[in-house]
This record gives sequence, C-alpha cells and structure tokens, in this order.
Amino acid sequence: MFKVQEIREIIKLVDASSIDEFVYEADGAKVKLKKKNGVTEVVAPKKVEEAPVAQVAAPAPTAVASIPAPAPKVETPAPVENAADLHKITSPMVGTFYQSPNPEAAPYVKVGDKVGDESIVCIVEAMKLFNEIEAEIKGEIVEILVQDGQLVEYGQPLFLVKAE
Amino acid sequence: MHFTMKDEILKRFLNANGEPISGQALADELQVSRTAIWKHLQTLKQEGYEFDTVKKRGYKLVTVPDKVDMGQLQQFLKTKRYGRQVHYFESVESTQLVAHELVREGGPDGTVIIAEHQTAGRGRMMREWESSEGKGIWMTIIIRPEIAPHQAPQFTLVTAVAVVNAMKAMFKNFTPEIKWPNDILVNGKKTTGILTEMVAEADRIQALLIGIGINVNQQMDDFPEPLQSIATSIAIEEGEPIERVHLVANVLDFLEHYSDMYVKNGFGFIKTLWEDSSGTIGKRVKATTLREVVEGEAISITENGVLQIRQANGEVKGIYSADIEIL
Repeated sequence: MFKVQEIREIIKLVDASSIDEFVYEADGAKVKLKKKNGVTEVVAPKKVEEAPVAQVAAPAPTAVASIPAPAPKVETPAPVENAADLHKITSPMVGTFYQSPNPEAAPYVKVGDKVGDESIVCIVEAMKLFNEIEAEIKGEIVEILVQDGQLVEYGQPLFLVKAE
Repeated sequence: MHFTMKDEILKRFLNANGEPISGQALADELQVSRTAIWKHLQTLKQEGYEFDTVKKRGYKLVTVPDKVDMGQLQQFLKTKRYGRQVHYFESVESTQLVAHELVREGGPDGTVIIAEHQTAGRGRMMREWESSEGKGIWMTIIIRPEIAPHQAPQFTLVTAVAVVNAMKAMFKNFTPEIKWPNDILVNGKKTTGILTEMVAEADRIQALLIGIGINVNQQMDDFPEPLQSIATSIAIEEGEPIERVHLVANVLDFLEHYSDMYVKNGFGFIKTLWEDSSGTIGKRVKATTLREVVEGEAISITENGVLQIRQANGEVKGIYSADIEIL
C-alpha cells in the first residue's frame, strides 16, 4: 500500500510536469493519475455569493482575508429598486478594480450614467493583465458595489444596472 | 533556422564585438571567394549596415540598420503561428491600439504588430513608455488561447518566462532576471516591460494583446535623463549592437512554445521556469498599490502566480496588482 503522503507527493510532481497520464505499480498496489482533458486543473476561485440588494450597504466580502475591508458606506441605498429587476455586472477574474484608466482620470461611469452594450465600465487588473469590462447591457448604472483599488473576486458583482 | 551566406557573414560581424574581421579569413572560413564576401558586404551596406575599413585587418561593423527586416524575420522564425502575420509600421501611436482594431477585424492567433517608433507608447496606469525610433523592439502579439478568462493573468508570467529565456539563449554577457510579475531587469535596471490587455466576454477570451517593449540598441544618452538610473538596454549590457530581428524571432519562438505548454499543461511548469529566473523571490520588496504599501520579504508565488510577501509582523500578504520595488 501507498502512504497518503507518497500519493500526495506523486500528485504534486505529476501536476507540475507535462505528463498527462501516470501509472505506478508496486507490491500489488497501483496508482493511476490522469489529467482532465490533458489540462492540469487550475483551482477555479470560488464564486462569491451574490449579496442581495438590501445588504448593499455592507462591503462586499473578499475572500482574501489580508485585504482590509473597505470602510462601510454611510448612506443607505435607496430601496426603490427590486433586486430582480436589476442586472449585475460581475468580475470575470480575481483582481484589482479600477474605476478609471489612471488615478488622475475621471471614472468610466458614475451612478446615473447610461451605458450601452460596449460601454467600458471599469478595469480589473491582475499581474499586469488589464481587462476592460464592458457593460454588455443597455441601461442605467444604479449602484457601484465596490471601491476604487479594491480586490474583487471571480464572479463578484461590481455594478447594478437598471436594464432598458 | 535557415541562414543565407549573407546572414552567416553578418552573424560573424555581430559576434565580433566590434573587432575587425579580415575578408580573407571570412572567405576561407565560409569557403567562398573574397569577391563573394565583398558583394555580400555591399548588400549589407544597402540594408543599412555600416562597416569601417581597418588597414591590414579587414572590416569592422560600426552600425546596424534602424529597421527590423520583415523578410529576414520569416526566415528566422521556427513558429507555426506566432509572427506569421506581421503588421509593420514606421510609426504608430501604440501597437496596442492597432492590435485592438485587428482583434475586432478577426486577426488570427499569433498576429504581430511591430513598429519602429511609437508616439504614445504606454505602460501600467497609462504611464508614458519611452519608445525611441529604431532602437528597441516595440510590438504586440495577439493570441487567442483556449482558456477561461480567470486563467489569463498567468499569461503575463508565461510571457516573462519566454522573453527571459529568449535572451538567455542569445546573450552571454549578462543575466536577465524577472521582477514580479513580468518586468525583465539586468543588474536591477529595466530592459523590458510587458503589458497585457484582455478582450473577453464573461466566460470566454476573445484575445489577449501582449505588448512587449524591449530596450535593445539604446546607448545611455538615448534615454531621457530621469530614466538613466533605472533603465538599460541589451546593447549596453552585452557590449555590442544587436540585430533586433533575431531577438524578435527568438521571443516569438519561445512565446509560442511556452504559451502552448501553459494551455496544455497548466501553470506548474511555467511557475518553475519563472522561479528559475526570478530576481524577486528572497528579496526585500516594497509593493505599492492604489490603497496601501506592503513591505517585507518576497517569499514565493502561489500556484496562480500571486506574489506572497511576508511582512515584519509575520503576516503573509498576497499581491495581485502593485508596483514592486526591490529594496
């Protein structure tokens, strides 16, 4: 039999290698490892639970504990919109949220702005990969759920849009 | 790689570190007549190479041309896709802007945009990037990898690994190192900046636009004064002028190889190669983000390429986006 530690070690080595499939047999015990579709599974960051609109005043949770939570906003959101009517623009990856192309520039969008499918609403950056996020919907920005420079998670809602 | 006689002659001059080579020695070594050598030198002169005649010792290469020869590029490339479609410009605002247009028009995987001069080259946060005429490599590669958008940031480390290994394969007088995530430094000074933009829908990458700026043939006084303490070029570090087309070909060869490897096998192997050339891990660093400054020891990168910094209080912080200063 193999020890758990040994199997763990083998997985690590195969994972870091270009091998797609690995079989090892010794003393009647056999270990077979196969990479899914030949691709080492990259652990996908967990989708963040989408906070209901009523809780918008609380800062969106970030999975990385070491990033200081943004100061809670003081104003309460106007409870006029029903959550179901609002479209969420979410982040396609983990990274830093930027509301403008550089710190001196005006934000791409503000609350109340009208956006179209291809309007750029923000940038999410990680490791010098810049992703200009498009609205992909026609409507009006109702709420910006994160703050400039904040770390956002994969799937985290960034904007609420009232669709037209 | 296919070399013509002219390329063979050029290679010897490029490797001679500015020392003269006699026509007779070249003729003997390449087993051609002195007249043939002379004819090839005339062709090279027409292409912009300049030679001095040194009495009784032969010819000395003094200037390399200020153009990247696209015909030569196709000869040198070993790639299947990268660099097989090239859009060459004397001068553009920025190769990234051209790339965005080509992405919209359906430019294929591996399309390269290269310019001798950029009037509005940009770095992180829209900072100006000095891209002087004919001295560097200013290019964007459009790639269309079959990966999910959340895996795309690792591609910036893949690019760093490709560029650093292309340099190591070509140059012997210096050791390039990667500063997280993907600057290439030599003796602590920047030779290369890489900036990548993604065009994607929520669940699918349309294209990555990998912008690479390499300082190649600048001398120190070509850099604006404020950059002289933080920038360098390959020619300065290697001690001789570099033919840029060879470096472009090498970077594309390595980039296609490592990109395919990442898409097929994941980040594990790339991580090892990144660590092999890292000038960051084990160093004291200062990471400046929009919201805070994190100082401490760079202890590792994670399985996703995130930089881990151990602060004085022992707390380890994961850095996704920051300007890194090696202390």
